Amino acid sequence: MTRSDQAADDTGGLGTLGRSSGPASLILSSLADGAKHGYALTKDIESFAGVRLAPGTLYEALSRLEAHGLIESIESEDRRRPYRLTAAGATALNVYLQGQRHVADVGLHRLASSWGLA
Amino acid sequence: MTAAPAGQPAADEPRAEQPKPQRAEQRRAVVQPSGADLPPQAVAQRARRLLRWYPSSWRARYGDEFTELLIADLQERPRCWRRTADVARSGLLARLAGAGLTSYPLEPAAAARAGLATMACAAAAFLAVGTAMNSQLAIGFQWSDPGNHDVTLALALMSGALVIFAVLALLAAVPVAWTAICAAVRGNGRQFGRPALLIAAGALILVVGGRHFGNGWPGTGGHWWAAHGLVPSGVAAFGWATTMSITSYWAHPAMLAAFPLAERVWMVLSPAAAACLITGATQLLRRTELSPRVSRYETWLAGVAAASMAAFLGGALCWVTAGGAGPQRLFHVGTIDVAGLAVLAITLVAGWQAAHRARAAGRAALAVRPR
Repeated sequence: MTRSDQAADDTGGLGTLGRSSGPASLILSSLADGAKHGYALTKDIESFAGVRLAPGTLYEALSRLEAHGLIESIESEDRRRPYRLTAAGATALNVYLQGQRHVADVGLHRLASSWGLA
Repeated sequence: MTAAPAGQPAADEPRAEQPKPQRAEQRRAVVQPSGADLPPQAVAQRARRLLRWYPSSWRARYGDEFTELLIADLQERPRCWRRTADVARSGLLARLAGAGLTSYPLEPAAAARAGLATMACAAAAFLAVGTAMNSQLAIGFQWSDPGNHDVTLALALMSGALVIFAVLALLAAVPVAWTAICAAVRGNGRQFGRPALLIAAGALILVVGGRHFGNGWPGTGGHWWAAHGLVPSGVAAFGWATTMSITSYWAHPAMLAAFPLAERVWMVLSPAAAACLITGATQLLRRTELSPRVSRYETWLAGVAAASMAAFLGGALCWVTAGGAGPQRLFHVGTIDVAGLAVLAITLVAGWQAAHRARAAGRAALAVRPR
């Protein structure tokens, strides 16, 4: 288990989501600026991460996140039900991204010192 | 691959081939209608077809919104085998979760009940095959001592595990039945009618038929302690009669045809009755809203049941590996016993997995419960 997973587990977060933790982090990042429904999530994630989540994968991750209390659905007149981040979800995402940033910082620092790449 | 300046193709990219994708796109546009060109009804129909991969409980919760997403995706990408494969994979996972065999959660309390129901199914299948094996040995003991320490140890282990199993089944059934009765008294009993009927019919047929054929069997003659042995002869005969259909005679139709008609009918009727009993019990378990405390108690029992299943399997393995045929081949190990051993192992793994999922889902249900 990585340090970030361990940290996220401590908050009941993304590390407990198994193979869905990748899509889950993308979904939580997308929801960080407001509620979105399934298709809006797909397009937003595609725009900022260059990854298109297939419908089955998206809803598998959404159901896991909802079951873990990291997101919640909003009642809507529309058939397209929007989802929003919960406080627990925001905390879990923060822990996860801090861990990712630490890994990125270490990797970039070592690349710069050993390979001269900035 | 060598790095290329921005906006330029890499050195090893085929420059001359570059226009091809555009031509291919044009061809595709000619032979395939875009999603926008498809009639909305056709798109909606395809979305509904894809939705069928998922179980009804999942469709009830996510069906509408998922269909909307599929329609939007189909309009954007009318032909995409990856989407179909992804939906199929995810739908099958959701179906397995409905059986408590994967961790695709719909709602933690429902996932816990699904895990318990699958454990109950696995335990019932284990019990049927295990009883067939155990009664074979127990009846052999009524006739003669096997003269093999391993076979004696095997029978002791298997019989002890079955006794624990029976006690656990009783301990598990009481709170579920009580919860269902309380719900029925409060006026929510309509959903329990069919499961209760299936349980009653299945149990009645098995008990009456088992007693009838067990008593008529000359091996024990219905006497509880006919000769000597670790298991009462009446119990052994009843176990043998209720699992009479688990036999290698199915592979020898000519020999089977020599059986009395009543026994052949019973060999078809008894598994059907057992299936009714198991189906009813599973439906009852899945429809009963167990409190978190009862759910935790049931998952604990499921863990102990898995341990007793492992003990039984150890005993059966001991007998099969010892392979002692004994006097008059009373303790002979046949191909069906080896196949039975495989079934025991598979149901143990499935049951243990389901119990594990039920425990995890139960913990999740407690975590998301409003304080």
